Amino acid sequence: MRVGIVGTGFMGRTHAAGWAETPAVIAGFVSKDGATAVSLQNQYGGHIYPDVDSMVADVDVVDICTPTFLHHQMALQAAAAGKHIVCEKPLARTLAQAQEMMEACDAAGVKLLVAHVVRFFPEYVLAKQKVESGEVGKTAVIRLKRGTFQPKKAQDNWFVDFEKSGGMMLDLMIHDFDYARWIGGEVVQVYAKTIRNTDTEADVDHGLAILTHADGTISHVEGSWAYPPPLFRTRLEIAGDNGLIQFDSEKMAAINLHLHERGADAPDVPLPGSPLDESPYTTQIKEFYDYLANDGAVRVTAVDGYKALQIALAAIESSQTGQPIKLGH
Amino acid sequence: MKIGIMSVAHLHAEAYIGNVRAIPDVEMIGIADDNAERGQQFAAQFDAHLFPSYDALLAEKPDGVLICAENANHRPLVEMAAAAGVHVLCEKPLATTRADAQAMIAACRDAGVTLMTAFPMRFSAPLQQLKARLDAGDLGEIYCLNTTNQGQMPIAHRAWFVDKTLAGGGAMMDHIVHLADIFNWLFGRELASVYAQSNRIMHADTVDVETGGLLMLQYSDGLFMTIDSSWSKPLNYPTWGGLTMEIVSERGLTVLDAFSQNLNVHQQNPAGNQWAYWGSDMNQAMIAEFVNAIREGRETAVSGEDGLFALEVVLAAYESAETNQPVAVSSQYSGET
Repeated sequence: MRVGIVGTGFMGRTHAAGWAETPAVIAGFVSKDGATAVSLQNQYGGHIYPDVDSMVADVDVVDICTPTFLHHQMALQAAAAGKHIVCEKPLARTLAQAQEMMEACDAAGVKLLVAHVVRFFPEYVLAKQKVESGEVGKTAVIRLKRGTFQPKKAQDNWFVDFEKSGGMMLDLMIHDFDYARWIGGEVVQVYAKTIRNTDTEADVDHGLAILTHADGTISHVEGSWAYPPPLFRTRLEIAGDNGLIQFDSEKMAAINLHLHERGADAPDVPLPGSPLDESPYTTQIKEFYDYLANDGAVRVTAVDGYKALQIALAAIESSQTGQPIKLGH
Repeated sequence: MKIGIMSVAHLHAEAYIGNVRAIPDVEMIGIADDNAERGQQFAAQFDAHLFPSYDALLAEKPDGVLICAENANHRPLVEMAAAAGVHVLCEKPLATTRADAQAMIAACRDAGVTLMTAFPMRFSAPLQQLKARLDAGDLGEIYCLNTTNQGQMPIAHRAWFVDKTLAGGGAMMDHIVHLADIFNWLFGRELASVYAQSNRIMHADTVDVETGGLLMLQYSDGLFMTIDSSWSKPLNYPTWGGLTMEIVSERGLTVLDAFSQNLNVHQQNPAGNQWAYWGSDMNQAMIAEFVNAIREGRETAVSGEDGLFALEVVLAAYESAETNQPVAVSSQYSGET
């Protein structure tokens, strides 16, 4: 199986490291940044292609790691060429785009995967397993938090361009919207508020959301790009009728470095990470490989990506209108 | 200075009696309770004088009384105390209905006595330090808060805590008022709307009141905050619950855990793990404020109106959870009674 990676930023590099741990061959990279593409080529081999269309003939799988607003067009190109697709989250910038991507993949008979990597982080996986095995009983109140600083880019910071990224709720908080739905089931109502400066270079983008699930479970989701660098905190709490699960990345950190560093700067994009034998990103790519190559089981589907997007867009709409948004299924 | 306790239905009476006794030159004259058995047990346990009736206690002419009745039974006791010209510290929530709270405020105002609502969190050392930093402008402009006041389902402490009639509700009636009052204290009363969702999944077999609740409050100036008021701490959790705040402001992130000042104690025999609190005693500071205000002939730091404001947030939360819509508060709330 030959994989072509589109986009050579932080996520393209991370996926490449994952594919390198599978039997798949990295056919090459599409990048508009020659330097990062050459760097990845030096590490993993393969070609550098100028665009998706020139790459598709050489690959079986197109792995889309580009900014959110580009997912739709690139996925349609890959589907038209009959290639399987791995797509970074969020699946697309709009629901209509996501719908069209799913339909195009169905029509072309190709598989579409969305990289909601939180479902592969061991602390989140273990919590899910404990809920599934009934240890906390029926879920009642879920609390999820993901807080960090605003991602930077040397140029063209698409993260802070709402039209391109959907902002913090669509880019970051969607992880926990997906996880809330994985744990608490379908979401029927969303109410959210956000503080978002309209200045695209603003360093404040923070949201609080209350989700109501079909079974009566309620979820509190907090997301932030408003913290000072290099802070990155995640937290989960699942209360059920037989107990409570708590995780706090700060309290449960295996290692804390407090170093004097000269001229040190925070990374451009915060990297969550407890020390582990295998990166959750690699675990994810391995599972995707097994699904694509052998029809193995996969824990997150395009439909999950669509529904996470639906919740995130509802949260944005609620924060803009001041009204709770009901979701149909 | 003489202080008495009218009704010991609320658990907090057990702490308050010690708090009163710890203040120099204050006499704890005793307690009265309309439940004879409860009064006798409490009097025996805490070596307190038991008056045969509330009238008998008030006839002793205390300077102030602490009213620790069930939430729905505060009003008649407050009115009795006011009629006797006695200052009142009333357990929270001040009442379970707007009409009761307004009547209590009016009765005390007309009698010229103080009505203080027992909001001990105002006297928490961590919260007082937070307020000082806020007031000094150290955090810059405040954008939003993510707060929790979670606890254990309290049936083991007092059965009436989960009785809809006596308590006025479940986890939302029990826990919203503390944070609502803290917001009133920190940011004022210009609340625009309240959105809430609740459920009864935890302890569904045991109680018929809500045990889970999440709220979103919107202030008129743009500030917003959430409250988690759930009884989501398991019954074997190391402590009763807690109160936390995460504040996002112009200057960054501020995290407060008001009950974090604990030792972790791990014991082999009998086996158990517990948190042993070593922080300052907020109840003591609250009772001292009540006593000092009486001595100095001034208003207490917390008023009956503050109790009404917090109750308005709770009532709006119930309405929102019922209608599934945010409920406007400013049009309902009036400090005038």
